[in-house]
Amino acid sequence: MATEHESVELVGDELVGNVARAALFAALMGASAYVSFPNPISPIPVTLQVLVVFLAGIFLGPVWGGVSITLYLVAGGLGAPVFAGGSAGFGALVGPTAGYLWSYPLAASLVGFLVHGTELGDYRVSTVRLVGAMVAGTAVIYALGVIGFAFVQNVGLGAAFWTAAAAFIPAEAFKIAAAVGIVRSDAIAAN
Amino acid sequence: MLTYEPGDSFAHRLDPRTKLAVQISFAAAGLAHTTPVGLTALGVVAAVSLRAANTSPVSALYAIRYAVPFLVVGPVVEAARLGAPWFDPSAAVDPALASIRVLLVFLVAAAYVRTTPIRESRAAIQRLVPGRFGVALGVGVALVFRFLPLVRRDLLRVREAQAARLGQTRRLDERLSLVAAGGLRRAFARADSLTLALRARCFAWNPTLPELRFSRCDAPVLTLAVSLLVSVFL
Repeated sequence: MATEHESVELVGDELVGNVARAALFAALMGASAYVSFPNPISPIPVTLQVLVVFLAGIFLGPVWGGVSITLYLVAGGLGAPVFAGGSAGFGALVGPTAGYLWSYPLAASLVGFLVHGTELGDYRVSTVRLVGAMVAGTAVIYALGVIGFAFVQNVGLGAAFWTAAAAFIPAEAFKIAAAVGIVRSDAIAAN
Repeated sequence: MLTYEPGDSFAHRLDPRTKLAVQISFAAAGLAHTTPVGLTALGVVAAVSLRAANTSPVSALYAIRYAVPFLVVGPVVEAARLGAPWFDPSAAVDPALASIRVLLVFLVAAAYVRTTPIRESRAAIQRLVPGRFGVALGVGVALVFRFLPLVRRDLLRVREAQAARLGQTRRLDERLSLVAAGGLRRAFARADSLTLALRARCFAWNPTLPELRFSRCDAPVLTLAVSLLVSVFL
């Protein structure tokens, strides 16, 4: 064991809480890769993952929302089975869906910023603001997802859009509606 | 599912930092040399990595089956034309090479996942990423590994409860919302208990980590990593 001999320096209380929440949110993000629902308007099943990205921004704010999704990526890259279909490892971070994965922390931070501003405040904002934030988050996810797919697979942006994005976009409306439902229902008492 | 398995293969004995270096330089080399010759050479490296990790290529490929449709559809869509001749095979060459490259990177990454326990990965992060940021990152990653099975079971339980109450007949957004809210509530409850437990046990900035040390085995593998990286600039 690599033992440390200097005096013990405790982590501040607020930081402990934030790290714990970020880690649990990252675990939730990973666990949701296993939960898929049949999609009424497309043969591709819907997973909870993008919904959790939105919720990370809404409930943890711009800083810790982004941190939690970054933790998810690092844990997955180091072998936690958290990527699509329970896969793991560095390969996914440079694979065909790499653009999507890298966009998630940015999207969580963006949603957090548009809902809260720079400081974490009350997440019960107007529905228009909530939906606007998530639409912006979705745009970031799909823009980077398509660019990532085109780059990694060496195809044009048009082909990338039709192959890796078009069939998934309609389901995002359900996720945005679900996130609004969660915020409005007061089912969660965060802060 | 491809996860860590204890063993005494050559790759098990390597320092995790060496294995991380190989993965990153392998991906960079693949990007720089997406040609038949380059990919053949990298294919040999990938095969050797799997052999060194005592991992069957079949199990490694099975673990990434979700990515296969993307790898196949990319070249097909790129070669398809909306008029005669309908299909232009020459346009499919570059995307097909890219797909092979992605597959090889996945195989090398599989060798890492199979041979590296989380405590070593965590120790590697905390040594590679300096300062408190590295410590927080290491702790966070370790907690994700620890809580993933629990949170997964929480979500499964909410889904089963929903199914038992004929919840499947509800609209998709309501079902998503119920499962996510259930998972979220439990995740927050777990985070609160974890916070309390960490404070009670004097959670500190200087935790005890397993010792990492480069051994003689690491030398040839580190040389490989450096040569792959150098090849990017040739």
